[in-house]
Amino acid sequence: MDFLRPTHWRDALDAKAHHPDATPIAGGTDVMVEINFGRRRPSTLLDLTGVPELTDWSLDDGRLRIGAGVPYARLIDELGDRLPGLAIASRTVGSPQIRNRGTLGGNLASASPAGDGHPPLLASDAEVEVQSLRGTRTVPVGEFFTGVKRHVLADDELIAAVHVAPATGAQQFSKIGTRNAMVIAVCTFAVALHPEQQRVGTGLGSAAPTPRPATEAAEFLAAELTDTDQWNRPRPLPESVVRRFGELVAATTAPIDDVRGTANYRTHAMAVMARRTLGWVWNEHRTGRQQCA
Amino acid sequence: MTSQVTPYAIGTALQRLDGRSKVTGTAPYAFERVVDNATYLHPVQATIALGQITAIDTAEAEALDGVITILTHVNAPRLASTEDRELAVLQTDRVSFRGQLIGAVIADTPETARQAAGLVRISYAQWPHEAELSSERSDLYTPEAVNPSFPADTDEGDVDTAMSAAPVTLDTTYTTPLEYNNPMEPHTTVALWNDHELTLYDSTQGAHTVRTTVAPVIGLDPERIHVSAPHVGGGFGSKGIPHAHIVLAALAARTVEGRPVKFALTRQQMFSLAGHRTPTIQRVRLAADTDGRLSALAHDVVEWTSKVKEFAEQTAVPSRNVYAAPNRRTSHRLAALDVPVPSWMRAPGECPGMFGPEVAVDEMALKCGIDPVEFRARNEPDVDPETGKPFSSRHLVECLREGADRFGWHHRDPTPASRTERGWLVGTGVASSIYPTLRAVSTATIRVEAADHYRVDIGATDIGTGTWTALTQIAADALEVPVGHVDLRIGETAQPEASVAGGSTGNATWGTAIVEAARALQDTHGRPPEIGAEASGTTPNNPETERFAMFAHGAQFAEVRVHADTGEIRVPRMLGVFAAGRIINPRTAHSQFIGGMTMGLSMALHEVGVLDTRFGHVVNHDFAEYHIPTNADVGDIDATWIDEDDPYVNPMGAKGIGEIGIVGAAAAIANAAHHATGIRLRELPITPDALLR
Repeated sequence: MDFLRPTHWRDALDAKAHHPDATPIAGGTDVMVEINFGRRRPSTLLDLTGVPELTDWSLDDGRLRIGAGVPYARLIDELGDRLPGLAIASRTVGSPQIRNRGTLGGNLASASPAGDGHPPLLASDAEVEVQSLRGTRTVPVGEFFTGVKRHVLADDELIAAVHVAPATGAQQFSKIGTRNAMVIAVCTFAVALHPEQQRVGTGLGSAAPTPRPATEAAEFLAAELTDTDQWNRPRPLPESVVRRFGELVAATTAPIDDVRGTANYRTHAMAVMARRTLGWVWNEHRTGRQQCA
Repeated sequence: MTSQVTPYAIGTALQRLDGRSKVTGTAPYAFERVVDNATYLHPVQATIALGQITAIDTAEAEALDGVITILTHVNAPRLASTEDRELAVLQTDRVSFRGQLIGAVIADTPETARQAAGLVRISYAQWPHEAELSSERSDLYTPEAVNPSFPADTDEGDVDTAMSAAPVTLDTTYTTPLEYNNPMEPHTTVALWNDHELTLYDSTQGAHTVRTTVAPVIGLDPERIHVSAPHVGGGFGSKGIPHAHIVLAALAARTVEGRPVKFALTRQQMFSLAGHRTPTIQRVRLAADTDGRLSALAHDVVEWTSKVKEFAEQTAVPSRNVYAAPNRRTSHRLAALDVPVPSWMRAPGECPGMFGPEVAVDEMALKCGIDPVEFRARNEPDVDPETGKPFSSRHLVECLREGADRFGWHHRDPTPASRTERGWLVGTGVASSIYPTLRAVSTATIRVEAADHYRVDIGATDIGTGTWTALTQIAADALEVPVGHVDLRIGETAQPEASVAGGSTGNATWGTAIVEAARALQDTHGRPPEIGAEASGTTPNNPETERFAMFAHGAQFAEVRVHADTGEIRVPRMLGVFAAGRIINPRTAHSQFIGGMTMGLSMALHEVGVLDTRFGHVVNHDFAEYHIPTNADVGDIDATWIDEDDPYVNPMGAKGIGEIGIVGAAAAIANAAHHATGIRLRELPITPDALLR
């Protein structure tokens, strides 16, 4: 096995161009597990932990650019105020050690249907900045995943960063696991309010082959809030609206049975989590106080 | 009556004497032993469940730099005995279960050994295997005895007639899944073969057990095998019966004579090689009058064993002793399958065997409209139902009542699904615990090194339970000296032979030997004995076992919260009240009790080995997927005990406590989940989807 360890971003892109079969590795919390368990044996590992450009984040023109190598622990500590949904999700990832090692870019590249970071990125309309020697493109996160553990990256491309707007409204995330910590999700749900656009963002995890938004549910809720002038004059939500939102979210799922839970359970739980998190964000929207799960 | 030691140090919460060396990393565990010129072993494991090896290609593996040798059945040294088929490694081309040891690479580094093991190419002739347990199998058989030597079946009175005559009956089946011991320290062995002497640094529950087990297999005089295990990072039974990896390490050491071989099982390898608890299918039948007095109790168990070696878990055995019922029946039927060899897992028999019946009793109490604590009290036997002997001491009802008071049981509305708090259904449950008080045979030697220095030698083991500390306390009281004057040495075959740390027999057996040695020292050499005096003592047979039945008892209480919408389950509170004779050390005992209860919580909510019967392997063979509780899953778990004076069990009056903490814990949680939701759970583990209404 070849082991490449560039120390500049340009060299990393160069290495990927010349070794299109190279497997990028950052925190190693997925790749090393797969290697250790003999699930794959990459011919080449491209270690990105020596590339300083990947570990920065910045705020430009009102939009955050988060380097692909920023670990969950820093998302929580440094960006928890601006991206509360992503921070809540990051807190549910693994153990402190995993949160120190695992990165946002690695989470995207693994493209697991159960990746904890994906639903809040979907709910916030994040974009993935992808680079190669050929140039740069940005992919909406909703178009990034193409199947179970598959994504749109070409063989010579690497994830450079994630672009996402800081929260302008309440954000929440909910996860059900078969235990209370250090657990792969049975299912996850994220919701974000975007009051300045009078829009709602959603993201489902572990409920379909890829993470996906619940577009119909989000549009239903946004229209309901706009029609009743609730963005500016929020009142308690009618039970019928909350229930309909949950139903539409559940209708978005395409889950499977596995050792962690049945498909029926996932669909049912998704509706519950949608109602639950909507209750939290709406309360926060009305009172300005964040709620904890 | 056994002459009792007067307790001074016994009963005090002495801190662990080995605590400092453990937390500072200086306590040597097997794999960390510093040896010169070490080699490393990585095993080759079968990738089929049943068949025959037809070809082995080691060329690519042998070509790696640093590979010393590769052992397979073709070139491995012959064993002196292959009678124990689990231990008969590399002796034939047969594959009997997936994951079986079929080769070993010995190399200069662990990395090279592992890489080379992956390059060994094995061809097989694969045969159809069987790995599916069912009570409908036509090949179920009755074992000659169940672990360790109980009769497989018992039958007293007429259960069928009692069932048809009784106004209240229950006939229900309960299941527990395939489960795995997972001590923090994996199974590790360092083996050195030198001039017909074998030294083993092993992570084991019994240094002498390893010696006496391995000696006939490899054909060495036991005196030529030296085993050292002063510190062991947990065992729970999985390191009690020596497993095949020790023999493989010994064979490898013989092959590279003069160089030590280091072998540590990976977590995944442990799932094939370190034993497991059989899944169980338990049919329970109960008959009672309307006052809740049982007239019949039947417990019929179907479980599996391996075709390689029989291990018959004694699942129905606790039903022989726990409640009174004139008509009673227990049975064990086994399916011998092409699976790895099952073995001891904390409270083999009692742990799974007190799940089915204790849930059944809860169901029966409800049917009779009687409080579950009261129902159990009404069925308290006057004498041991199995033997008719009186109990040397029994305080099960006291445990139940004390627990009920402390837990706040009396405020409970017995109606299921009657209490909701902020979206969570709340319930409480209870179950009984029982565990036999046994003892084995061990020898201790005490030597007076100086006026205030008594050296106590016994080949006992501390698998994290606190043996170093508890035996020091026992020795101090037996010698009537302060604990600071006792210099205890354990964990080596160089010390007098001692029994395995298993069956909750450790302190009772070893402590009795130490007391015997102290008495011999005083009888022979006076008080105080002169410097240089030495005496030995051996655990005698206990004549009181002819007169009395001996058990420890307990009551488990649990509070369960189930989310009304998602079925998420939480256990915020557990309380165990135990009656286990005199407690030697309240600090380490408390840890043993709550550790057992936590393992019971794990059994209730998390643990299940998912067997892919098509291939005969467990797919969730690691900690990412085989779940045990995290800190966030464990709420307020507390244990307390009733001071029990039992002069019959041994000179300390102490019963074993290593296993009783797990017994009944899962049933208490399942019963609490029923009380919370009205959903009766007869299958473990309990998952959210099962609790959705």
